[in-house]
Amino acid sequence: MAQPVTDPAAAKSTGMDVSLEHIVKAYGEHVVLDDVSLSVREGEVCAIIGPSGAGKSTLLRCINLLERPDSGTIRVGDTTIDAGQEVGGKQLHGLRRQVGMVFQSFNLFPHLTVLRNIALPQERVLGRSRAEAEDRAMELLQRVGLGDKPAQYPSRCSGGQQQRVAIARALALDPKVMLFDEPTSALDPELGLEVLAVMRELADEGMTMIVVTHEMQFARDVSDHLIVMGHGTVLEEGQPEKIFTDPATDRTRRFLRAVLER
Amino acid sequence: MTVLQDWLGFLPQLASGLWVSVVVCLAAIVVGLPLGLALALGSSAGSRALRWPAIAVVEIGRGAPALVVLQVFYFGLPSAGLTLSSTMAACLALALTTAAYTSEIIRGGLQAVPRGELEATEALGMSRPDALRFVVIPQGIRVAIPPLMGFGVLIFQATSLAYTIALPELLGRAYSIGSSTFQYLSVLALAGLMYAAVTIPASLLTDRVERRMSRHLA
Ligand SMILES: Nc1ncnc2c1ncn2[C@@H]1O[C@H](COP(=O)(O)OP(=O)(O)OP(=O)(O)O)[C@@H](O)[C@H]1O
Ligand SMILES: [Mg+2]
Repeated sequence: MAQPVTDPAAAKSTGMDVSLEHIVKAYGEHVVLDDVSLSVREGEVCAIIGPSGAGKSTLLRCINLLERPDSGTIRVGDTTIDAGQEVGGKQLHGLRRQVGMVFQSFNLFPHLTVLRNIALPQERVLGRSRAEAEDRAMELLQRVGLGDKPAQYPSRCSGGQQQRVAIARALALDPKVMLFDEPTSALDPELGLEVLAVMRELADEGMTMIVVTHEMQFARDVSDHLIVMGHGTVLEEGQPEKIFTDPATDRTRRFLRAVLER
Repeated sequence: MTVLQDWLGFLPQLASGLWVSVVVCLAAIVVGLPLGLALALGSSAGSRALRWPAIAVVEIGRGAPALVVLQVFYFGLPSAGLTLSSTMAACLALALTTAAYTSEIIRGGLQAVPRGELEATEALGMSRPDALRFVVIPQGIRVAIPPLMGFGVLIFQATSLAYTIALPELLGRAYSIGSSTFQYLSVLALAGLMYAAVTIPASLLTDRVERRMSRHLA
């Protein structure tokens, strides 16, 4: 992984970062995100941890509007969206162009080969030619250690391989921010390591990343910024090392004790 | 012996009847299937202006027996100022039935595409039409192909209903031979065998295709 994935010049000119302000999301009576704010600087790796049902996935999915918040502001790079108002197609497209997402369940297209999975979105979203898109796909496959798999169908790949393909598919669109929702939860531990290694390299290259994870080791070692969520709010945030060694709230302490003692 | 001789005598007429049956069946499928896909997309569309008319056509097409639709097209439409030949009426009526039934089969196929893949297309910034064209429809159709082929066999058999509108298809031919020779049992048995000669291989093929289709889609 020699060259960085994002173009630093382009990134700087937009003062790239992500910020969410006062995000509120309820399903009926049930308030899932209660006035959550968060900001992530360019090149920063932000890890989000917290108990099941805390609202981590929902928060992540609000960033690219897979989930529509009831109110609040979402800003990614040069796109600002007021969730309380009508969101135009152009705005939505502008937002999603800058954000890549990796899901717990990979969500590859099973009827397409690994290569086509990565090339198709480039052709349709960025208008790249087929040759260009497939070249880029091959380059990324090599980077994630799957240079020998382009012609394979996803069902013939291990979970760890599928997740790396999914990462390559998202990277191929040159996003400025990558969102990961428990990318290793569906994997056996040793397969999860392959994926974590790729994510680690991505972080080293300076990709801005927001990672919901149950991998405490990853959160502690790789992230620059740690957010602990509980019951739809941010319980605590700051330096990972500090939070792991000296949590400020009782709830964080209880959560960390529970997960670390497992 | 004599049965075989009779059958040889019937065969030319019945074969031309079979040909008519096959052509009408193919026409119904060629017209009905794209319409079925359109109705499937329409009846799962977000906009009500698209959804309700599509659902109405599907429900009417499935609710009305094919025989009734056939009669309406042939005997009913002339009083509304539209006169169709029996071939045309048979093709259109069976196409409507095909569209209505296949739209439900296709819709089932489209819905079988996991929600997560649609979310992936959204997250990748792909447009909704692109998501349908490249992700949902190819997979949905693949899931739908075996039941669609099964339906094709049914609609082929349903062409026999067109004998009621004087279409010279297989059953019609058999019937007219029967009424001039009174050898109903013999000629109808041969006609039945000829239907089976088409439907049995088609069903076997359907089974094979079904097994092949389930390969990549885990
Ligand atoms: N579509 C939905 N309809 C109703 N409630 C929902 C929906 N999606 C999520 N929720 C609820 O919102 C809350 C937060 O869910 P979310 O998936 O964001 O939690 P999470 O922190 O990601 O949990 P986990 O660690 O289990 O993935 C949960 O109580 C969940 O039941
Ligand atoms: Mg979650």
